[in-house]
Amino acid sequence: MNPRKLLFTVAAAVALLATACGGTTPTTSTGNETGTLTVWLMNGSAPQSIVDGVNADFKAKHPNVTVNVEIQQWSDVTTKLDTAFAGSAPPDIMELGNTLVAKYAAAGALQDISSKKSSFENSGTWLQSLTDSCTYQKKLYCVPYYAGSRAVIYRTDLFSAAGVQPPTSMDQLMTVGQTLMAKYGSDPNFSALYFPGKYWYAAAPFVWDFGGDIATQSGTKWTGAINNSQSQQGLTALQSLVSKLSRADKTGDEAKQDQAFAQGHIAMIIANGWEVGVITDPKAGDPTLKDKLGAFPIPSHNAGQTAPVFLGGSDLGIAAKSQHQALAQEWLNLLGGTKFQSQMVTVGGVIPNTTSLVSLSSGLPAIFAAAAKNSRFTPNSPNWANVESANVLQDMLVSIFTGKASIPTATSAASDKIATILNS
Amino acid sequence: MSRRIVARTFFDTVGVLILVVMLFPIYWMVSTALKPGKEILSLTPVWFPSPITFDNFRTAINVPFFWNDVVNSLTVVLSVVAISIALAFLAAVSVARFGFRGRTAFVVMVIAVQMVPLNALVIPMYLLLDRVGQVDTLLGVIAYYLAIVLPFMIWTLRGFVANVPVDLEEAAMVDGATRVGAFLRIVFPLVAPGLVATAIFGFIQAWNEYIIAYVLLSSSSKQTLTIWLASFTTQHGTDWGGLMAGATLTALPVVVFFLLVQRHVAGGLTAGAVKG
Amino acid sequence: MGVAGDARTRVAPRPQAEAGPWRHVWGRRLLPYALIAPALIVILGVLGYPLGMLLWLSTQHYGLRELIQHQGEFVGLQNFQTFRVDPQFRYVLTVSLIFTVVNVGLSMLFATGIALLLERVSRAVRILLSAGLVLVWATPSIPAIDLWQWMFDYEFGVVNWLLTHLGAGNYIHHNWFENPIQGFSVITVIVVWGAIPFLALMIYAGLTQVPRELVEAAEIDGARSWQVFARITVPILRPVFLVVISLSTIWDFGVFNQVWVLLNQRPSQDYFLMSVYSFQESFRVSQFGLGSAAAVVTIAILVVVTFAYVRQTVRLTEDAV
Repeated sequence: MNPRKLLFTVAAAVALLATACGGTTPTTSTGNETGTLTVWLMNGSAPQSIVDGVNADFKAKHPNVTVNVEIQQWSDVTTKLDTAFAGSAPPDIMELGNTLVAKYAAAGALQDISSKKSSFENSGTWLQSLTDSCTYQKKLYCVPYYAGSRAVIYRTDLFSAAGVQPPTSMDQLMTVGQTLMAKYGSDPNFSALYFPGKYWYAAAPFVWDFGGDIATQSGTKWTGAINNSQSQQGLTALQSLVSKLSRADKTGDEAKQDQAFAQGHIAMIIANGWEVGVITDPKAGDPTLKDKLGAFPIPSHNAGQTAPVFLGGSDLGIAAKSQHQALAQEWLNLLGGTKFQSQMVTVGGVIPNTTSLVSLSSGLPAIFAAAAKNSRFTPNSPNWANVESANVLQDMLVSIFTGKASIPTATSAASDKIATILNS
Repeated sequence: MSRRIVARTFFDTVGVLILVVMLFPIYWMVSTALKPGKEILSLTPVWFPSPITFDNFRTAINVPFFWNDVVNSLTVVLSVVAISIALAFLAAVSVARFGFRGRTAFVVMVIAVQMVPLNALVIPMYLLLDRVGQVDTLLGVIAYYLAIVLPFMIWTLRGFVANVPVDLEEAAMVDGATRVGAFLRIVFPLVAPGLVATAIFGFIQAWNEYIIAYVLLSSSSKQTLTIWLASFTTQHGTDWGGLMAGATLTALPVVVFFLLVQRHVAGGLTAGAVKG
Repeated sequence: MGVAGDARTRVAPRPQAEAGPWRHVWGRRLLPYALIAPALIVILGVLGYPLGMLLWLSTQHYGLRELIQHQGEFVGLQNFQTFRVDPQFRYVLTVSLIFTVVNVGLSMLFATGIALLLERVSRAVRILLSAGLVLVWATPSIPAIDLWQWMFDYEFGVVNWLLTHLGAGNYIHHNWFENPIQGFSVITVIVVWGAIPFLALMIYAGLTQVPRELVEAAEIDGARSWQVFARITVPILRPVFLVVISLSTIWDFGVFNQVWVLLNQRPSQDYFLMSVYSFQESFRVSQFGLGSAAAVVTIAILVVVTFAYVRQTVRLTEDAV
């Protein structure tokens, strides 16, 4: 066997043997490669024009490589990912919700790309929380894709009729809400601030704003922090708001809040940027509300500041078993790079993965993008997905709002449970 | 004479009432599919959509690869129903008409297999099909569906076949029919209603199954209608109008299948004559 | 088994080798095996390996990492032990059993009634009603449950609106799932509604096999309809009843979607039926060994619960021919 062929065979063997440690493979790309690159994107994440654009640019550089972009559904997606990673030929690239990454990284499903970080455009200015979601044990396992954050959507017409302005502090939020309740509260369906009981992602900002947290890590041990005094302060402030301003189901979640808002009896909701589109969509909501909507960031209890928000979003990872590491990285660099991330903002209406492009947002989305600058992420542990699956925080909130448990009792029970699951 | 008419009218009325009660949620599904956005989830129930809009149906059909999904679903389901009915009927006849060593074991196996919770088999199934290279193929899906509907079909068809007395076939043979002819002409029509119910069961199982189809099929060109139906839910929530339009479209072919099969076995429904 | 009027046993049982008109079939000993062979091959070929793996997995510690590396850690019966010592398990088992009994009972009651009705209506109504039942049966499960969820919704629900407007009390913003008994009642309505079509059509198919002469003879002798039903219909229908009751039990014990979807994928612990509990404790947190053990436990429970029915079915099989 000639030396070049031997080298290739050895390289191929190394690629085949790559395991949880994330063995590195030679990463030269010359434009003469052949093969198929399989990409799994989630339904609804990227407009088709962007995907087509990425593929076109990629094809220009690698004309003999076929790229198959397959759209996957959200329903039972973790089962699909589990089986795909367990099988012999997982897709080369897949989009993962940012709270799922740690779980798959810890299990050895994703390729460690720490050494390649600098080769990704804008990696220096990636949104911190998304980067955090991609980092496990100080190694980088994915590229941030896009983000979503929450702010308060409100009815400008109801506000002006009641003579109030968007609040700039939590206390003001309460007074604004109470004025609204005084004016419209006789309608049994009216809520000044519609807050379903299980809406954990909207409750987190209150906990974080007062300096509290969900859990903290020292060394490898996690300790629950939801029961410390600052967290409890935040929850107390929230409970006060909910009991006085909300008529939403205390045991329900936020799945139908946009439809509820579209019915016209709600003044404020805490929501994601894309929910504006749902509220005004003719197929799902009320298009006449289009000119009556405004947004403001969740105010901090310190006047003039905004509360930290949870940054939702997705990342893009490369399978450890992938045979096309270099090609996959190039494809990722395109989708995560300036050209197409700008389009994600302007066409897709999401928050891009880099702070340098955040200013491209305009109109209402810009307010959500600005709120994203002050963002936090959930405890970055592979067991965090299990805390979410066990409904710990949702059940805690429900017991607080329905009055079944006091805040100290509910939070200390939740804190213990979180620590147990994270440390398991 | 008139007493029979009164009785029949009474039963007919009850029948229609039951139909109305059972179909009420279905009515809600269809009317939701025809409603514009704000009326779908409304604080005051909207009983009748106004204006009636077909946008939801239009969007549902215009989803990319929709017609692909239809063809794939039909391929899978018709294959499963045809093969499973044939195989199950043969096995049911064997168990119902013959005594043979291992019959009890076979029957017990057939019943026991149905007690296995299917979601626990997803990962082992996937790994098996991965090993034989049948991931992302319709054949793998068909094979799995066959394996899960066969036990049920064998078990129920056995009951229907056993209920047809053996002496019927013998009487026909005495009259000069061949044994196969006797079987086909006498037994088959008498188990026809059972066959219809069982075939529809197989149809619906294969037609509406989601998790295995989703886990096995990744290429857009291979996916089935159940995956299409799941596409109305994204991380942005659910397109309720689209989902209900999709559900309506999904349910209709089964009813069509039923009506077609019904017509061809109508004889079985009114028969029941057993010679002394 | 010799019940009067049982059509099958009017014929004296024949020795095995000379069964009926098949006695001249070549290779008569091979024929029964040949007939079951295709089905057997498919079932064992497709399900053999997964079932074996299920049993093996139940003795392993098998999380996501183990799955990807195809390497588990043998823990013997520890997975089963986890369930045995879990205080919640007893609650889950009790609730599941009660739920199953109630659902099977109600489903059989309504389905039998509708099957009897199908016999007595005019042809047009029969086709209409059966088509309607098939439509309900064919509607995909998740959207159907979504519809029921809307009907019982806290603020959008038709039921709350109707009850208030019909004067049954103030049901505005009534939460049907705060109280588990109310919640399970709603779930039962949905399960029974979904179960009726299949059961009714199956029982009706069985009814068509009841010989008309027997019924007419009994009526001439002065029997009332319920006597005809009890003395003639039920015994003939016994095999069919056994099958549908066993199936109903198996399916109702494994109810999952209704709970999961109605409670927005986050049911509180009061609502943990066996399948929900198994899923939540294992597969949801990617613990496949534990999940497999849960499946094995479920199968064991089902074997015990349906034992009486299954034994009768097997006996009937052996007595026939």
